[in-house]
Amino acid sequence: MSFFSVRSLSKRFGGLTALDDVSFEVEKGSILSVIGPNGSGKSTAFNCINGIYKPTAGTVHFEGEQISGLKSHRIARRGLARTFQNIELFANESTVDNLMLGRHQHMRTGLWRGMGMLGRTTRAAREEVENRARVEQVMETLDLTAVRDRPVQELPYGTQKRVELGRALAMDPKLLLVDEPSAGMSPEERADIGERLRSLRDDLGLTILLIEHHMQLAIDLADRVLALNFGKVIALGAPEEVRSHPEVIKAYLGDG
Amino acid sequence: MLLQIVASGLSSGSIYALVALALVITYKTTEVPNFAQGEMAMFSAFVAYVLIVDYNVGFVVAFGAAIVFAFLLGVGFEGLFLRRTKNPTHLNLIIMTLGFQLALFGLAGWRWGADQRQFPFPVSASEVVRFGDITVSTLSIATISIALALMAAVFAFFRFTKLGVAMQATQQDPMAARINGVPVRAVVALTFGISSVIGLVAALLTAPLITLDPTLMWDPLLKGFAGAVLGGMNTPVGAVLGGYLLGVVENLFGAYVSVEFKSAVAFLIIVIVLWFRPVGLFGRQPPRKV
Amino acid sequence: MTLRELDHYADVQLLPGKAAVVKLVVLLAVLAVLPFVVPGYRIFTLNYMAIFVIVGLGMSILVGDTGQVSLGHAGFMAIGAYTSVLAMTELGAPFLIALPAAALVSAFFGFLLGLPALRLDGPYLAIATLGFGLAVTLIIGHGSLFGGHMGLVVPEASLGPLPLSGDISHYFLIVGITVVLAVAARNLGVTRVGRAFRAIRDSPIAAETMGVDVAYYKTLSFTVSAAFAGIAGSLLSLMNGFISPGVFSFTLSLMFLAMVVFGGLGSITGAVLGSLVMGYVNLRMDAVQEIPVLGPALQGFSDAFMSPSGLPNVGWVLTGLMIMLTIMFEPRGLYGVWLRVEDALRWLRRRSASGGTATGAG
Repeated sequence: MSFFSVRSLSKRFGGLTALDDVSFEVEKGSILSVIGPNGSGKSTAFNCINGIYKPTAGTVHFEGEQISGLKSHRIARRGLARTFQNIELFANESTVDNLMLGRHQHMRTGLWRGMGMLGRTTRAAREEVENRARVEQVMETLDLTAVRDRPVQELPYGTQKRVELGRALAMDPKLLLVDEPSAGMSPEERADIGERLRSLRDDLGLTILLIEHHMQLAIDLADRVLALNFGKVIALGAPEEVRSHPEVIKAYLGDG
Repeated sequence: MLLQIVASGLSSGSIYALVALALVITYKTTEVPNFAQGEMAMFSAFVAYVLIVDYNVGFVVAFGAAIVFAFLLGVGFEGLFLRRTKNPTHLNLIIMTLGFQLALFGLAGWRWGADQRQFPFPVSASEVVRFGDITVSTLSIATISIALALMAAVFAFFRFTKLGVAMQATQQDPMAARINGVPVRAVVALTFGISSVIGLVAALLTAPLITLDPTLMWDPLLKGFAGAVLGGMNTPVGAVLGGYLLGVVENLFGAYVSVEFKSAVAFLIIVIVLWFRPVGLFGRQPPRKV
Repeated sequence: MTLRELDHYADVQLLPGKAAVVKLVVLLAVLAVLPFVVPGYRIFTLNYMAIFVIVGLGMSILVGDTGQVSLGHAGFMAIGAYTSVLAMTELGAPFLIALPAAALVSAFFGFLLGLPALRLDGPYLAIATLGFGLAVTLIIGHGSLFGGHMGLVVPEASLGPLPLSGDISHYFLIVGITVVLAVAARNLGVTRVGRAFRAIRDSPIAAETMGVDVAYYKTLSFTVSAAFAGIAGSLLSLMNGFISPGVFSFTLSLMFLAMVVFGGLGSITGAVLGSLVMGYVNLRMDAVQEIPVLGPALQGFSDAFMSPSGLPNVGWVLTGLMIMLTIMFEPRGLYGVWLRVEDALRWLRRRSASGGTATGAG
């Protein structure tokens, strides 16, 4: 049984077919880059995988169990995290609190224990301290400690992208979906994010699905590459193979 | 008997339909329901009243002046207040309309007190006309005709005039409209002006039925909302139909079930529709984008 | 740095440091002494303001934190009030039982309203809650069990052996409950559930993606918020000695929304401040002419240009304007104004410090 597999995934919106019979597998501890021109269905695929959309057809399996059809929060609890292309941070909250949301599913404090948190020894307080420690670790690895208490809407774009990533990492996921992490970044920032993603795979053994518009970054980071066009798979395999695949070249450059 | 009930339902439904229409055209443009709609109409109706009673102006002239006032009130609210909101989230804009409603209500109460006044409408509520088995008051006839005429005019305006088409374009896709040279900001302000005038007409048709006081439009506003929700808040035609449907259903309920809880029909409809089909009978679901 | 300081417990600690403890002690002392210092007839005003604070705390949770609209909270307050009174008159329950019963029944209706709220956003939700609030008033106004338009008289109440009559005993009960609920609301806000609420407000999709069951927490928010209003309703019935549907009008629901907006959405301090102000305004609207200087001026203006009996409506105008100005210019409300004042003071302090060292004294 593979770690993560998508089989015959299709998504239709009324008359529009956004995804058409997409299938691929991902090995544990590897990075799969998903490339394709605008509108090829990459983000739609992510949305189907993490439960924001319900697939019209096909299934998604994670660690041997079907996750397609589940609500997003249940999929998250299975160990799947994702970032958003257009940043969906909790704008009014601080960096710390954004990341603490990542700990939500690992914590158990509910209504009554939360209201009754009076003193360091209560369960709620201990849970807060424990999980904040984990969040501090994540913030340190992403150089976010300096901005921990700032409301994230005040932060520069590049920093916000790191917070978005940090939030996903704070969930201690087994599978990470990253949607266009380098969008809007300078070459230095791009190299930086590339390094971070690589070390997530190498040091933490994280499995990563990466949508990336910047071809070089996508190729450099990937163990395998999936190319989409008009919602269909046009190539799947080793990075250099896919990059030089005639269909892929045609998709990016156009027909004539 | 049944026809009688339906007939009077159409009469009250006309008022609900007008209010619903007024609500929907601003809702389509801003995605914000204008809760101040009712009080704006009420205030403008008071302006007409003051002109007629205190200044002895004829009804037609007073009506005209009130229309101008209502129009300016709508444009002014949008241009001076709504547009200037620092962080225009839906919640904030809704709260703006609620604040304006409260301020207008207080202003009307302060200026004119809670005294109940008779609005001097040229058509009487007590004179009746007979159509076979049905007895209808001349006011009801006037109400239905005026409402239908106004709605027809509004729809014709949207369909056939350049400005009207521009407004429709703005409602559907403000970005595209702007690119095509439509002065979006002016259009939005105008929409509020027109909506306010429609509301005024509804208020003037309501005033003769009950007394004129600051709470004049509370009930019609709620019923207008119910009608718009029932028909569909993003379709003017649907909203109008919803208003009429509500009027008829409400009257049937009042006649056959309970008069006391007649108003409950509006609430029930709101709850049922919002539970089972939030877009309304004739509305369409806008897609969600991430 | 000690190990204690390293663990960031201060992030959520209620009293982080000696200064905070002192402030709390002083506040509690002031509150304890207040009813004996203030003229007797003003104690009712304080009680009324405290009740508004309780509702405001609930509204802060629902509107400020979770970002849901409610135009029908007077309905929950009514449910709490009537439950409390009926429990005492029909079931012979002591107030000690009637109060929690009011909270539970209101909470239940909050839960019911929360269910359709799951599918509704912004304007539709506003309309639904509006309908709910009005429906409650309609049913209460016409049902014989509820005493119709005349309402119900509240029987004598006691807390165990202690009689609850007179403003002062009400004061200690109401203010005591208010303080407890304020702490509870504050704690809720800084822990897991509060964060989940705010995540829903800022981005429901991201919240769901991170494992927050949005449906559950939205409903929970309505439930808790309704419970607060229900408790306030029960306490109001105690204070007034009778209840009637007219009190729980749409305009009251508007006041409730206005006060958290005006105070500053998303902040407990803001909610408390806003509630205190609005509570006072709402109660004292009939006595506008008693305001020093401004009162007689308004009265004069009113007599000359406005309706003679209409002066109390100034309260509505004022409230409406406050709402609009807040949204237009300082969406963080009174709390935002307070933050700016703090910033200004800090800036002044820094300037005087650096000015002194740069240019020397004299």
